[in-house]
Amino acid sequence: MRRTTSQSDRRSFIKYVGAAGTLGLAGCVGQDPSDDDGDGSSVVIGSNHPLSGSLGGTGTRMDNAVQLAAMMKNDNGGIESLDGAELEVISEDNQGNQELGGEVTDSLIDDGADVITGCFSSPVTNAATRAAERAGVPFVISVSVDDAILQDNDLQYAYRPQPPASQMAVDHAELMPQVIRDAGRDVQTAGLYYINIDFGQSVRDSLREELPNQDIEIVEEVSIDFGETADTAVTQLADADPDVVIATTYEAETVELVRAMDNQDYAPPFIAGCANEALNDVGALEEMGETVEGALPTNFALNPTLDRASEVRERYESEFDESFDANVAMTYAATEVIIAGIEEAGSSDPEDINDALSEIEVSDHIAAMPPISFDENGENENALAPLFQVQDLDDRVVFPEEYAETEIDL
Amino acid sequence: MGFSFDSVAALPSIGGLATESATVAFIQPSTALQLLAFAVLLGGIYGLVALGLTMIFGVMDVINFAHGAMMVVGMYTVWWTATAFGLHPILSIPLAVLGLFAIGVLVHLTTISSIMDAPQENQLIVTFGIMLILISAIEITFSTDPQSLGLGLGSVAIAGVFLPLGQLYALLISISAVVVVWLFLQRTQLGRAIRGTADDRTAAQYVGINVPRIDYLTFGIGAALAGLAGAVIPLFQQINPYLGDSYLINAFVIVVLGGLGSFPGALLGGLIVGFVHVFGQYFLPGSGYQISIFLIFILVLLLKPEGLLGGGVSE
Repeated sequence: MRRTTSQSDRRSFIKYVGAAGTLGLAGCVGQDPSDDDGDGSSVVIGSNHPLSGSLGGTGTRMDNAVQLAAMMKNDNGGIESLDGAELEVISEDNQGNQELGGEVTDSLIDDGADVITGCFSSPVTNAATRAAERAGVPFVISVSVDDAILQDNDLQYAYRPQPPASQMAVDHAELMPQVIRDAGRDVQTAGLYYINIDFGQSVRDSLREELPNQDIEIVEEVSIDFGETADTAVTQLADADPDVVIATTYEAETVELVRAMDNQDYAPPFIAGCANEALNDVGALEEMGETVEGALPTNFALNPTLDRASEVRERYESEFDESFDANVAMTYAATEVIIAGIEEAGSSDPEDINDALSEIEVSDHIAAMPPISFDENGENENALAPLFQVQDLDDRVVFPEEYAETEIDL
Repeated sequence: MGFSFDSVAALPSIGGLATESATVAFIQPSTALQLLAFAVLLGGIYGLVALGLTMIFGVMDVINFAHGAMMVVGMYTVWWTATAFGLHPILSIPLAVLGLFAIGVLVHLTTISSIMDAPQENQLIVTFGIMLILISAIEITFSTDPQSLGLGLGSVAIAGVFLPLGQLYALLISISAVVVVWLFLQRTQLGRAIRGTADDRTAAQYVGINVPRIDYLTFGIGAALAGLAGAVIPLFQQINPYLGDSYLINAFVIVVLGGLGSFPGALLGGLIVGFVHVFGQYFLPGSGYQISIFLIFILVLLLKPEGLLGGGVSE
């Protein structure tokens, strides 16, 4: 009797486990985007971002931004021109490694991506956009600053809504001195502090060209590598004594700069940032404290004058329990461009989406810039990096006036 | 009067700035002293990082690729115990040392001990694998975002030279560690056994030293020193799971530069690399300082392959 019960229990167990396993497998198969039969019931966006590695934190937030943009579009009825077709996002990890940029793009395309976005690190994006070009799949850059990605390559399938390095430098060189001089103060010399990789070097090169046009002489340039302290760099900057120190680095290196400034009792008249992550991150600003109060960074930004932008920010923070920074804002805006392209194409065919993107003008986006449209290189003709000021350890857009949420305080 | 580095400043600089501007043509004595202070502070920490590496190599002939990852575990132990439990970071440092000692012994017993007699590339691959496991575990547990204790310890100014207190505490802890380890090796029975094993493993066995036990203790002490080196870093720097790499690359240079297995060599090498690092950063563009470090490394390999103070833990 006991034996029978035991056998019965075992059979039941095996039966339920088998059923659960089968259902699980069926679920997995059902979610495979490569099984899309092409009837237009869904359109697949491939997200190629660093989900691990030293850029993994920011990359994951950017990937979440892609997911959120698709989620919100689906919540609002999906792609109208495709009878409510849903957006599906597949994500893969490029680890911030250049050699994985193309490989991940190929893999996403194999898995059914109709359009791709990424990659944060410029060398990775360079490789990824070339792979997409070879496959004839449109690629909308989420965040990557290096001019060369689009301007040194003749790409027909790549688009960049954000301002590239040269535009960031143009905007910074114009806006930052203008507000300082309008406030009755002066700025004649600058010291550049940059991360010694593609990103920092490309912005540095552009600042070298643009700052002299605004009568600002560069009196010192210092670089920092990943994991370095900024002690020596600050000694160099203090010796050169510029009116403004312009930082182009990721968070850790800017925090290092400020720590070393505090330790050496060095305070330049102005601290600024061009494409600087830390000066647009509330957590980093709180860590850096009073030293960065009044700092003047330029970066792409969420449009603070839009109610819809605030809603996106709140939804993001509640959905992912993470802070919403400038990279997230720009990635969300890039995904809005992709969605607009799909709507305009009325098709999930990559060629149709590409044709639509090449002609598109997107007015309804959350970035603080005019309508997005692309030139022959795929660069946004109206890209803008507005000027912020750190006020009460928060990054507030102060210029141009149409995007300003508060007044400059110098 | 004062230090003139005109010839150095004539080196190619950032986009030709050196030739266009007079700002780097002369270094003030105060600046030179400030850089010297930074060089000593950085060199001391480099020496501590290299200490555990050189000890494991000196006794066991094992190149521990996981040393940087063990540093990272030390960093996160201090950060986590301080932020999650409010423990003072200085009090968290012994926890990191003990934790890493235990991890080191465990790693040795479960992986290294069985391949001690295998070709050296096996140990390289195994320690590389341990590095990946430790870093992945940190990534998964704490994310890849930079973390900070936010201590803002400030600095003291002596004769116009600023000494950041975070680095100063780190240096004092490094010096204390070196003294303690040196006394342990010189004055204790176990220390003598370790030195005997480093001298000649076979002879050590013949005279009754339990060499396998010495091996796991040495690996544990080496890991504990890595943990200590990592544990002092959050006192002055943001941490992330990959920060160990930045220190480890130069630590390998220091170990070879100072002499494989040499404790005084690790300290001397640390100071030399710290000096080249800081002054190189000041005078050379971009990563020129790192090129200088490797050039010195190559020169030493060519001219004095055994290192500046080549010898061993036994000395």
